[in-house]
Amino acid sequence: MLVLETLKAFSETGRTALIHPLGSLSYRDLEIRSDAFARWLLDTLGEDRSPVVLWGDKEADLLPCLLGALKSGRAYVPIDSVIPKDRAAQIVAAVDPKVVVAFTGEELPWEGRTLSPEKLEAVLSAPGEKVPPENWVQKSDPAYILFTSGSTGRPKGVPITAGNLDAFCQGLLPHYPKEGGVILHQVSYSFDVSGCAVYAGLCRGMTLFTVDHQMAAGLGECFDALERSGLTLWVSTPSFGELCIQSQRFDQRLLPHLRQFLFCGEVLTHALCDALSERFPKAQILNTYGPTEATVLVTAAEVTEEMRRDSLPIPIGKAIDGVTLRLEQEGREVTEEGQTGELLILGPTVGPGYLGQPDEAKKVFFIDPETGLRGYRTGDLCFFRNGLYHYCGRADNQLKLNGYRIELEDIEENLQRLRNVRRAAVIPVRDQEGIVQYLAAFLLLQESDGLTPLKRAIALKKEAAAYLPPYMIPRKILAVESFPLNVNGKIDRKALAARLEKTP
Amino acid sequence: MEQKIAEIIAGLCGGEPEEIEPELLLFEEGLLDSFAAIQLVLALEETFGLSLDMAVLSRERIATPAAIAALVREGRG
Repeated sequence: MLVLETLKAFSETGRTALIHPLGSLSYRDLEIRSDAFARWLLDTLGEDRSPVVLWGDKEADLLPCLLGALKSGRAYVPIDSVIPKDRAAQIVAAVDPKVVVAFTGEELPWEGRTLSPEKLEAVLSAPGEKVPPENWVQKSDPAYILFTSGSTGRPKGVPITAGNLDAFCQGLLPHYPKEGGVILHQVSYSFDVSGCAVYAGLCRGMTLFTVDHQMAAGLGECFDALERSGLTLWVSTPSFGELCIQSQRFDQRLLPHLRQFLFCGEVLTHALCDALSERFPKAQILNTYGPTEATVLVTAAEVTEEMRRDSLPIPIGKAIDGVTLRLEQEGREVTEEGQTGELLILGPTVGPGYLGQPDEAKKVFFIDPETGLRGYRTGDLCFFRNGLYHYCGRADNQLKLNGYRIELEDIEENLQRLRNVRRAAVIPVRDQEGIVQYLAAFLLLQESDGLTPLKRAIALKKEAAAYLPPYMIPRKILAVESFPLNVNGKIDRKALAARLEKTP
Repeated sequence: MEQKIAEIIAGLCGGEPEEIEPELLLFEEGLLDSFAAIQLVLALEETFGLSLDMAVLSRERIATPAAIAALVREGRG
């Protein structure tokens, strides 16, 4: 696997691999500590190759554990510390691991072996031999399993192989600055865009600069750290970019070495591109697109002045090296310029399917009879013009909020688990550009709770926090006497959305 | 001014302005997150003609309606 080979090569140099709030790890530290973790897994678990769960935020040792799992031939499953225990337990049940590394210092409700931060330190600092490449994950072995929002209310597992990740690195690296440099490591490990730093970044010998949850929540502290970072490559969702650009401090003086912004995970707006090119005239903007099922990203566009002045949305660009794209409508290939179709991705970045859900996988994964390539139907609607792909929306109910992929049914199912909730309808509220600003939930209660609207919203949000991560908890929670119904007898979501227009 | 602030907050998180008490903990009670905080700051700037900066502004300064009122008073100088 590319990342493990380059790690080995750079471990001979004095290069820094990771800067975190408490210090740093060199490539050599990373090599030694990941080998130690791999040895421990091999000694403790032997032939059992169940995935290893890594439960935390961006603690320094999460990275060596992740690489150590790969060196031992095991996949890892990152679970972000903001995920509620109940949902984390669902993920653990679906994965059936033998080891959970709890960077949070807490315990999950499960029977197996949990490594606390103290026990982990003893494991990672134990001396020993390097783990030979025969033990590493091989091309068709899963390297990680990520869980995304599923329409049933339970998270859906997406395994990605070592071969998928190698293909992703080979496709993306031509777009990276040639020399090393410092890359932003802000995206959660449980979101695959973090692979731009973890896989492509390490493969290029870059230094990962950590911004954890606490830093991201207080921009002042975050900027103080970034000012000293020497950052050359910015990777984030457009939402995090929007958050930063609100501050006047966010400009070229703060990040004088910045060469490039890479955005992934949701629609990049003209407004953000314009603001960034004004504040950072020397930095280039790379817009990218891709679903988790096809490994992080499959297209890239260097945003030009022409694109910024164009009335069309910022394009998602061309396929990266190794990836084939095709548009289809009603089973037929779309070849005319400007005509919309569903985007199909073919090639070596397309993952093996869904964990334990072969029927779900069969609906969207396929082998192309013509080329023999593995393919994935994205459910994303796109059109092709002047050599570039443009994204124009989803064919279903899935949406993106602040970079997170969300199924509305997932939130509704979980809100219906609350004690006094009979039925829930969640409505996305969009701005003029069609980008989701926030979610509002309308709830039909079992019985009157005697609370004022605000007190009720506070109580329900607290209860919902047991089942849903913070980014999936609707900002507005409103009780209704009954739901407006449309002609088909279904909840009239348009009528509900109209009720929100009266409020800012 | 307190009334205006209560209206902005109620509009953002879906309550009635009358319920927005001065010492309500907006973040701790789960009413606001960092993205809603941006909307709040933009609305304050627009309504009261202020210029605020998220990076300089710590969360404590907008933790409660009373803190926000103090911030607005200070900004108007």
